[in-house]
Amino acid sequence: MTLPGNEAELLTRVVSGDRAAFDAVMRTHEDRVFSVCLRILGDRERALDATQDTFLTVFRKAGQFQARSALGTWIYRIAVNTCYDHIRRSQRRPTQPLPDHVDPADPSAEEAIDSAALRPEIEAALAEIPADFRDAVILSDLEGLTMPEVAEVLGVPIGTVKSRVFRGRRLLAGQLGNQYDP
Amino acid sequence: MHEHDLDLIAALADGSLADEAEARALVDACDVCRAEYRSQADVLAWIASAPRAEMTEPEKAALHRDLWTELRRDPARTASVPWWQRWSYVAAGLFVVVGLAGVLNGVIGSGESGGPTAESPVDLDLADRGDEAAPFLAEDNGSDGAGESAATTTAAAEQAVSVPFPELADQVRASRETDPGTGTTSPDATVTECLERVGLDDHIVVAELELDREYLAVMARDEAEGTVTFVAPDECEIAFVDR
Repeated sequence: MTLPGNEAELLTRVVSGDRAAFDAVMRTHEDRVFSVCLRILGDRERALDATQDTFLTVFRKAGQFQARSALGTWIYRIAVNTCYDHIRRSQRRPTQPLPDHVDPADPSAEEAIDSAALRPEIEAALAEIPADFRDAVILSDLEGLTMPEVAEVLGVPIGTVKSRVFRGRRLLAGQLGNQYDP
Repeated sequence: MHEHDLDLIAALADGSLADEAEARALVDACDVCRAEYRSQADVLAWIASAPRAEMTEPEKAALHRDLWTELRRDPARTASVPWWQRWSYVAAGLFVVVGLAGVLNGVIGSGESGGPTAESPVDLDLADRGDEAAPFLAEDNGSDGAGESAATTTAAAEQAVSVPFPELADQVRASRETDPGTGTTSPDATVTECLERVGLDDHIVVAELELDREYLAVMARDEAEGTVTFVAPDECEIAFVDR
């Protein structure tokens, strides 16, 4: 696979130590990395930590990127693995997805949290389904990656991704249905 | 319902089918299929209504600030395992001293003492860990003691030495016996993935060494005196096993 010219040039500059180039890479991918981390970890603070760890790894491994996938796919794979690592370290996934306080110096944070809270039932339902299914659904349906991209990120065959996504949706439907059953 | 049917119905629900005729016929003809389609479509509608998770501008600013602070402070490792960094510098320093004294040729590097690489001289490159972020480190020259230390050992690092895995393994065990708490699961997802791939996912990293290339010394989680395995994480291969 050949990288788009701007991505290839950016990576070359990152490897040579160009801070502006790495900032550009971050700006392009940080929102989606954070979003993936937030959906997987279910906690804003942990997602921010995982996002930082992801980009530390991206920076340190930039020279090893071999363009077998798109740059974004490679970064999201690092993000997912970083989240797995955070989960392993904490040994548990919190059931409360939102922080219990908001930095008063950051009024927009409150707005963001209010916005995310519009669908807490989805977050709760995601937390209840097995991680393999959840992550496939997050990447495919919440983040909009194609099946081949999800396969690359998760390191599994496309057929496995399809199966996990379809069954993940089914489990999610069951969870969402349960929340509204009398 | 067959596997193929579920694939078709799910793909119909998410709109990824080029030709929907077969799937629609299936849904029209089968109650279970119709229920499955409705279930998948409902979930997708729920998901579509979820707000996109985004960082706030202050969070983004903090992310960039903290990341560059971290990279300037320690360009090669994260701060979450400071003992790794300490251990690697101690071990690397030891080998520089040993290498300069010429001891490795006579004692440690003998063909009888080592493993598969004992007779193959390798370059000890201690400056490697700082190189990748050198331009950023230059921003605060003088404040990064580790960076300076690495730079001053560059000349010594160019000397060819053998990797004395057995001796190093003894030091790793001694360290673990002295401090049973030494060792951690890796904060680096790539390392974690590599350990899983080489069948060492139940191991913890006890030390990291920057020699001719990067090595991780790993041991089984509950063993302080057992086998020490050296893994080259960049190539994801086991370099040496000391039992």
